[in-house]
Amino acid sequence: MAERFLQRLRLINRTVAIAVGLMFLICAGLVLVDIVLRRLGSSLGGTDEISGYVMAIGTAWGMAFALLELSHVRIDFLRSNVSTKSRAIFDLLSMFALAATVSIIAIQCWPVVATTLKNGSHANTPLETPLALVQLPWFAGWVWFSIMSWFTFMAGIVMVWNGQFKTSETFIGVFPEVEKS
Amino acid sequence: MLPFISVGLLGLLTLSIPVGIVLFLLGIGIDQFFSPFPLLRGLGSMVWSTSENAALIAIPFFVLLGEILVRSGIATRTYEALDRWVSWLPGGLVHANIATATMFSATSGSSVATAATVATVAMPQAEKLGYDQRLFSGAIAAGGTLGIMIPPSINLIVYGFLTQTSIPQLFLAGLIPGILLALSFMAIVAIICTIKPHLGGQRRTFPFTEMLKGLTALGPIIILFSIIIGSIYNGWATPTEAASVGVGGALVIAAMFGAISIPMITQAVIGTVKVTSMIMLVVIGASFLNFTLSAAGLSNELSQFLEGLGLSPFWMLLVIVLMYIVLGFFIETLSLMVITIPIVVPIIISLGFDPIWFGILMIVLIEMALITPPVGLNLYVVQAARKGGSMGDVMVGAIPFVIAMLAMVAALIAFPDIALFLPETLR
Repeated sequence: MAERFLQRLRLINRTVAIAVGLMFLICAGLVLVDIVLRRLGSSLGGTDEISGYVMAIGTAWGMAFALLELSHVRIDFLRSNVSTKSRAIFDLLSMFALAATVSIIAIQCWPVVATTLKNGSHANTPLETPLALVQLPWFAGWVWFSIMSWFTFMAGIVMVWNGQFKTSETFIGVFPEVEKS
Repeated sequence: MLPFISVGLLGLLTLSIPVGIVLFLLGIGIDQFFSPFPLLRGLGSMVWSTSENAALIAIPFFVLLGEILVRSGIATRTYEALDRWVSWLPGGLVHANIATATMFSATSGSSVATAATVATVAMPQAEKLGYDQRLFSGAIAAGGTLGIMIPPSINLIVYGFLTQTSIPQLFLAGLIPGILLALSFMAIVAIICTIKPHLGGQRRTFPFTEMLKGLTALGPIIILFSIIIGSIYNGWATPTEAASVGVGGALVIAAMFGAISIPMITQAVIGTVKVTSMIMLVVIGASFLNFTLSAAGLSNELSQFLEGLGLSPFWMLLVIVLMYIVLGFFIETLSLMVITIPIVVPIIISLGFDPIWFGILMIVLIEMALITPPVGLNLYVVQAARKGGSMGDVMVGAIPFVIAMLAMVAALIAFPDIALFLPETLR
């Protein structure tokens, strides 16, 4: 059951990742158009600012996908030399550390958004972007990452409790080095 | 504070906690135990200002560029073309491995992607033509490391961002050392294969017309590299903008070879998000740690510590180099770079060394980490592309190239101009 749950989470986050990736692609196109226009003596204006927002929102939402695909780098020279059971302990500990830390980050991100909302802040740029418009989705990305990591941690506990060490390793283990980049 | 971060860092990493998280945890620890004022309140705005930095969007763009290029089928053509040009040397096709990796490094910002691409096209040839598997695969692993040295380089972008040094200057500084490394790899192969010809397989010559025809296959990559780097130094574009030009160019190349399809683009963007998020968690963590360390007064403590040691700058530098070599056995490259920058770079600057020069020196050292066991990503990448054979073969094959890198480290220390000549001339 835990396995099917995590597979579903993977699927959902894959969709999120495609959306984020397309956003990067479109942003690259926008910057490209701006360079060409600038050569022609005109400009879209503000692509720098937009790229920044795309980066902040995109990475926040991509984090959970990277987590479920086991892409966040872990150093495993000790872990790889112990028994399967002990490896599961390493994995649970590391998932717990991740979930707790990401939750602290998400909680600490809220005051940034709250101040923006209270003051109705706008970016100090030609676009005068209402910051709430970009900070809310960014904050939501970190909350999403924190929820996903607690879900993964709990599903991991269920798997380890049931003795499914092989399966748990494919969801909370360390990816074979090869696939990392 | 220094013992706290050193022990904390190694301890948490050994527990296999994700590297990015370790950096955040250390930052939180510094805040709790060493800072006179609450720093945790700054965490949210740190995360925001780091991730909305427009300079960093060059990272997903360069990753995307590589992902598209890898799937465009251009690697096979490049390899065949370079084979015609370099296979007359003692060592034959092994030189084509290094040359292809060098060409790909000039468009890709990542070493692992470079090694993976070359390994996929080259390994089948090794079996067909009866090459010594060790030298052949070692050359791919080593050649691949050039991806982070020859511009564009994702690692140099991260270094520039975390140390506030100019990314275009770093790119320029990496060019000559990168090319010199490639040439020294080829020289080593030629020497080894002159002494032991059976390691090199058959040397082949091609008619000149064939060689010329091959050039057309190299055209797209050379043009792409010139556009990316040229637009930065002409002042047309920032590195970020040049990266977007690169994405456009890669799409054109892929379209020329009829490689564009919906599944291909989907795979490319998914790969991009995965790699970018992985890098950004580490980068944001490092920025936060940087912030807490400087707020808690690390630089004071460091300078006292250094005075206490009483080492001359040169010996201090050697200690640092040695530390990188040792840590490089165990820690993966980007992590190694990011976790050491907050501590090492302030030391380097206070000793009077040039931060741009040190960036390049550090890149050679982490390139070495890519091909030294037990944790050497490129070794695994190349091994994965082989059909059978032991991991040990690739490790042994990489040894000559590790020696070339050590020589490069010595050369950079003796003649800093190898790195600094271009940036100073074109400033």
